[in-house]
Amino acid sequence: MLSGPVVVTGADVPGLRAGLAAGLTVTGATVVDLPVHALDDRSAVDAAFAAVVRDHGRVGGVVHAALEPDAGVRMPITEVDDAGFDAVWERTLGRTLTVLGAAHGVLRPTGGAIVVVGSMVGLAGAAGLAPYAAAAEGVRVLAKSAARQWGPDGVRVNVVVPAPEHEPTGVRSPELALSPPALGGPGDPSADLAPIVAWLLGESAHFVTGVTVPADGGVWMAG
Amino acid sequence: MSPAVPSLAGRTAVVTGAGQGVGEGIARALAAAGANVVVAARRAVTGEPVAAAIRADGHEAVCIETDCTDREALAACVDATVARYGGLEVMVHNAFSGGRAHRIEDLDPDLWHENSRTGVWASFLAAQLAAPHLLAAGTAGRLLLVTSPAGVEGSAAIPVYGAVKAAQRALAKSLAREWGPHGVTVNCIAPVAETPSLAGAFAARPELKAAVERRTALGRIGDAEHDIGGVAVFLAGPAAGYVTGQTVVCDGGSFLGL
Repeated sequence: MLSGPVVVTGADVPGLRAGLAAGLTVTGATVVDLPVHALDDRSAVDAAFAAVVRDHGRVGGVVHAALEPDAGVRMPITEVDDAGFDAVWERTLGRTLTVLGAAHGVLRPTGGAIVVVGSMVGLAGAAGLAPYAAAAEGVRVLAKSAARQWGPDGVRVNVVVPAPEHEPTGVRSPELALSPPALGGPGDPSADLAPIVAWLLGESAHFVTGVTVPADGGVWMAG
Repeated sequence: MSPAVPSLAGRTAVVTGAGQGVGEGIARALAAAGANVVVAARRAVTGEPVAAAIRADGHEAVCIETDCTDREALAACVDATVARYGGLEVMVHNAFSGGRAHRIEDLDPDLWHENSRTGVWASFLAAQLAAPHLLAAGTAGRLLLVTSPAGVEGSAAIPVYGAVKAAQRALAKSLAREWGPHGVTVNCIAPVAETPSLAGAFAARPELKAAVERRTALGRIGDAEHDIGGVAVFLAGPAAGYVTGQTVVCDGGSFLGL
């Protein structure tokens, strides 16, 4: 059981974030949903995290859904314009940098864990989704860098990759791997994804950092 | 031993960041393998001597001063390349700047921007601006992105670099799938080589060179032309026509995590 509330923030992909929050609540966590609109402003995110500390005494963990729903529109790279590329790549990384930096600030005094919700598209690549894949993989390896840099601070950072059916890309599991989901798919964010997130945030994962857990029922088995 | 017909004879390559280091090594190797090489350097003062040295060795090269983060500048470079040589089969985006140590929580927006622009944005531009020519080249079309083992395992010292280099790998995988039906391949090279930037890092931390050599199976740091350029020649050439979406780590056997 976490000793403080879980802040859930980031992209509001239909079903995903709400399902995660509901599932985390079932595991016994107190969930604080941080609104999305301020994520481009570090001082606003710092203030929002500070408010959680003020209200609850501390933050127990942070979950950041990195990929925005409107980032997952398929388009050949030759048709992507400059603003469109930046709206996916720079915005996704920029928001993740903001959230990670702010989360580090509130977790460092007590130690704690962050889980970034990423995308299998970044691991596997997908035609028509090059900017989305770049953003997803940038976020995933930024989390590894953060895990390495913040290990001495007692802050762990891990990634979960949901089944692609929970992403707004139209990609389906068999497109990205050789085989169908071993356990059947795509699973449910509340029942199947949230318990993995809760484990990564909790004390029983205290020696786990920088990893990617595919929460996909056994699609992605590389590595 | 050189083959009777060089593997890249008749093909034209643009190499960004070719005024020094890995880019220079790749440019020299591609030219030695028979390619027409455009040394796309941000400053002609570094690029011109590289092109001149290649020509002095009896190969074909020209320097085109190019800021590869600038759409108009890179487009002009591609246009001039096609005008001069009649096509563009091989685009290599190697240029990068911004590898300075930083903390994620105190990240200087300018440093983030520099990493993002030179690493990922310029990859996007290189892919998009070269696309018509690469797709026209069909099974001879190649996009190569120079990335890093840090793009797989992350980095405590330069965390954003790891993110940017990872993003390039995912771009390559996606474009490999997107352009596969045309026969065009897209791959990454993740090198460790003697370069001015590595020399700078070793000068700042003299113990680092021995540490890098110790963790490297082959016990030495790579040569940009012979060790890294040779891999670029392979990936750019006909022998690698069935290899796509991959990252080839050329680091003497240090990072073995792929």
